[in-house]
Amino acid sequence: MAAGTQILAPVAGEHRVGRTYLWVRFVAAAPLVALVLLLPLHSDVYGHVSAYAAIFVMVGLSMNVLTGYTGQISLGHQAFVGLGALTAANVVSTGVRPADGFSFAIGMVCAAAASGAAALLLGAVALRIRGLYLALVTLVFGSVFADAVFTLPSLNGQDAGVPAYRPSFMATEYRFYLFALAMALICAYVDVCVRRTKVGRGLVALRDNELVASAFGVNVLGYKLLGFTISGAMAGLAGGVFAFWEQAFSDKDFTAIAGFNLALTFVVVAVVGGLGNRGGVIAASVFFALVSPLSPFLEWFARQTHWATYYGNNKFYISNVIGAVLLLQTVILNPGGLGQVIRPFARWFGGHKFNLHDSDGGGVGTMEGSSVRA
Amino acid sequence: MHDALLAGSQFSGQINFLSPLINGIANGAAYGLLGLGLVLLYKSNRIFNFAQGEFATVGAIVTYVFYAGTGVLPKLPFFLAAVLGLLGSVGIALLTERLVIRPMFNRAKVILVVGTVGVALLLIGVEGLLPYPKTQSLPTISDVLKVQPFIGRIDNVPVLDQDIAKLAMLVVLAVGAFVFFRYTHTGTAILAVSQDATAARVVGISVERISLISWGIAGLLGGVAGILLAVPPTGSVTPGAFTGTTLTVSFAAAVLGGMTSLPGAFVGGLSLGLIEAFASADAEFVPGLNHVHSGQAELAVFLVLLLVLLVRPRGLLGQEA
Amino acid sequence: MSVLEVRDLTIRFGGLTAIDGLNLRVDEWEIVGLMGPNGAGKTTAFNCITGFYKPTRGRVYYQDRDVTKVPPHRKAALGIGRTFQNVGMVKSETALENLLTAQHTRAGYGAPQAIVGLGTVRQREKELTAHAEAILDLLGLADIRDRRIGGLPYGTLKLLELGCALATDPQLLLLDEPSSGMGPEESDELGERLLNLRQELGVTMLLIEHHVPLVTAVCDYVYVLNFGKLLAEGDPDHVRNHPEVVAAYLGGEAPEALAQTETPDDEPPADEAALAKPVKRTSAPRKTAQAKKATKAAPRRRPPAKKEAS
Ligand SMILES: Nc1ncnc2c1ncn2[C@@H]1O[C@H](COP(=O)(O)OP(=O)(O)OP(=O)(O)O)[C@@H](O)[C@H]1O
Ligand SMILES: [Mg+2]
Repeated sequence: MAAGTQILAPVAGEHRVGRTYLWVRFVAAAPLVALVLLLPLHSDVYGHVSAYAAIFVMVGLSMNVLTGYTGQISLGHQAFVGLGALTAANVVSTGVRPADGFSFAIGMVCAAAASGAAALLLGAVALRIRGLYLALVTLVFGSVFADAVFTLPSLNGQDAGVPAYRPSFMATEYRFYLFALAMALICAYVDVCVRRTKVGRGLVALRDNELVASAFGVNVLGYKLLGFTISGAMAGLAGGVFAFWEQAFSDKDFTAIAGFNLALTFVVVAVVGGLGNRGGVIAASVFFALVSPLSPFLEWFARQTHWATYYGNNKFYISNVIGAVLLLQTVILNPGGLGQVIRPFARWFGGHKFNLHDSDGGGVGTMEGSSVRA
Repeated sequence: MHDALLAGSQFSGQINFLSPLINGIANGAAYGLLGLGLVLLYKSNRIFNFAQGEFATVGAIVTYVFYAGTGVLPKLPFFLAAVLGLLGSVGIALLTERLVIRPMFNRAKVILVVGTVGVALLLIGVEGLLPYPKTQSLPTISDVLKVQPFIGRIDNVPVLDQDIAKLAMLVVLAVGAFVFFRYTHTGTAILAVSQDATAARVVGISVERISLISWGIAGLLGGVAGILLAVPPTGSVTPGAFTGTTLTVSFAAAVLGGMTSLPGAFVGGLSLGLIEAFASADAEFVPGLNHVHSGQAELAVFLVLLLVLLVRPRGLLGQEA
Repeated sequence: MSVLEVRDLTIRFGGLTAIDGLNLRVDEWEIVGLMGPNGAGKTTAFNCITGFYKPTRGRVYYQDRDVTKVPPHRKAALGIGRTFQNVGMVKSETALENLLTAQHTRAGYGAPQAIVGLGTVRQREKELTAHAEAILDLLGLADIRDRRIGGLPYGTLKLLELGCALATDPQLLLLDEPSSGMGPEESDELGERLLNLRQELGVTMLLIEHHVPLVTAVCDYVYVLNFGKLLAEGDPDHVRNHPEVVAAYLGGEAPEALAQTETPDDEPPADEAALAKPVKRTSAPRKTAQAKKATKAAPRRRPPAKKEAS
């Protein structure tokens, strides 16, 4: 028995409000759950877009762990997503169609492992290089990694790409969506576990100030690497799902200007969502998946007006502009991001009192850290 | 007609030292030109400006649309169009300062950098949405001056006049900017602000005005780079033309030169151009290296960047880390 | 047994010798003061002891073990807690979260378990929260439990930071100017609090403090630094009246120390024999510590076992 805890007897303190009205909250949450489960049933297109949104959520959570919690900026995250896709596709592409469940599962695990390892390498660099220079290194890393590895003819299936056949039990878009959703939920679960334990607290502490973190006993070097690895593994998993979403790996999705755009979109998702705020990042991920050039959502919207052709020709630029405007708006005017806006509601669902002006300490401001000196 | 000549040389030309050397210097001049603006803003504001590539693109596009008389626009003589292009770049840079940088003056630099990433993304998008022919290029020096294109040959490797122009302009701008910081009142004031904004304020320097000036100059440098680089055979006025690949290498060049040194941008630019060219050359003189892979040049750039940052963070000519 | 021994500690920053051959000792159950005018090298000494700075020469022994080269987070795990002169806590988190963060090394589970979310982790988290709340109560800070520490007044922050240091479960506590930002009354209260903490938790302390009444009230022994050199040592009353100390604090010129020592190119090798010798004190500490220790033998605390009564 520790003497410290002996005298420091725990006090009774129930700081959450009572659970009496919890059912109200369940009722309020029900439409959301119904939407997530039923809307993708509408048609194959809906299912397809929803699965894409789930993939984006995974990448968003990956950015949340790295930039939101660990405070390390990454402008090269497309490399990890791409590596996951490449790995999964190569593991599964035995030419068997449909793929068997076993090689499919192995493919997903390998995707996460490969990207986790790649991120660990980048993390090792981040131990020595910080701040602006790290931003630059990650940017160059992303494009170099994509251009040097994804274009290897032995890995990328040349012009045709590497086929990634879905296993038979995922034949319909809706079933594939459920799989993607399950993967996204796993990432969200890991995010929750990280944030609610000493792991997340250690990451946040080192994000804020490395000296303070180590005075609290956090192994700063190890935790930075851990942050990179978790984030990389999530991104790799997302990439694996992406390969099966597209049913092929094609290097063109991740190299050159497409890769660059993708990398910046991921940063936009994390910042607009509100760094370190899970709910906000998830919401932002879904939003940016819907307005991404790969999603038919805006196209449908354009078809209602007479802008369809214009949209068709300019979809990349349109989603660029949307992302950029929201990014700038967030950074300049609303540093807490979307998370700050939805936080009062999220807290209420979680059983806390409704408080409109409740801050979560997240957002762009967390990048500032604090100036404690040794 | 350049294209034909170039294509010819690629088949006939003996692969040797000379070809990558000349290509490397030509590309290096481009990196140096963009790098100058990056160094300037790092020197004055301590930030990395990820929108510098788009300042260049804007300059090139504005020049192009007036030179070609796109849509309702008047067709102007090249030099007039170029002046408008430069004004466009400067205008965008000033807007960036006023709308993005100024409101976040006291925020961490990383956040400002995220802001410049947003500006780059926005500019690429807006450029893309504008109706103008996106695959065109600006005229070369010889086209503008209506003279016979100069294509010198050294050992059968072509040397283009626009490459010489790039290099010459890079030297002029590097020296000019160096003199500006060393000998003019405004230049030293910019440096004073970057060293200690509070102290500079105390002695009566307007930090806001200095910031505006340095962004304006960065826009100007970007515009010059854009107009010189958006020429055939490789350059064009495509949206994001200088952000995709050129900007990253330019950053690496600036870091190699020492992020705070203007001559460093010149030296770093040329060095990286050469490193890239030799890394991707089908180089018979490197034993065992006769297979070319498209990622080689980028890999070399990345390794150089890492090496500099890990071993000598102040670069070749920088004064500080 | 000495808890902390610093032998011949020297650190240079370029040409400046911030600490020059410092010897000091902190025995179990003692509260030892470290005083000196601004820039004397007190904080630097802390940083050398906790591993944030690498000393140019000299050794640091913790519980008779050479820990000179042990990195800061390992020292925290060994039981050396510290506070920072300008408040070291996680700005974006609440008071409670800070106290939880500070219990990092005593969490009792590893990162892999945490990531997959084992049930035992959740159980431990509840216990950690209870412990954090107990510390808040002990310091009278229960009402700021869920406040983000960003906007709190400085004195409260200092107190909470002390709580965080306690939450690391230290056996040796290094406090850098704990009373700064506090008024005289709060400072008196802090003195009592420190004595109580020692009484109840058995924590040994080394504290940097300018506030003489506080030093007199709590310290058993005081070291005074000036320009990186030990100027005087002894019990508080002795030191307070020491002429050189008075002179140093009144801003009188320091004798030979002002002249910047030139850094010889090759450092003379540390005298191993000298390093092996335990640090001797020039006078005896106040008897209070020994007496108190006799009355209550504090059980040495270790990270708690898996089960704790709650
Ligand atoms: N990292 C460093 N690099 C260079 N010089 C340093 C460094 N840390 C401390 N110093 C110098 O060492 C000397 C001692 O500083 P220190 O902070 O230890 O003083 P102090 O006794 O804590 O003073 P105060 O009462 O003001 O806190 C000062 O001259 C300081 O400038
Ligand atoms: Mg101090």
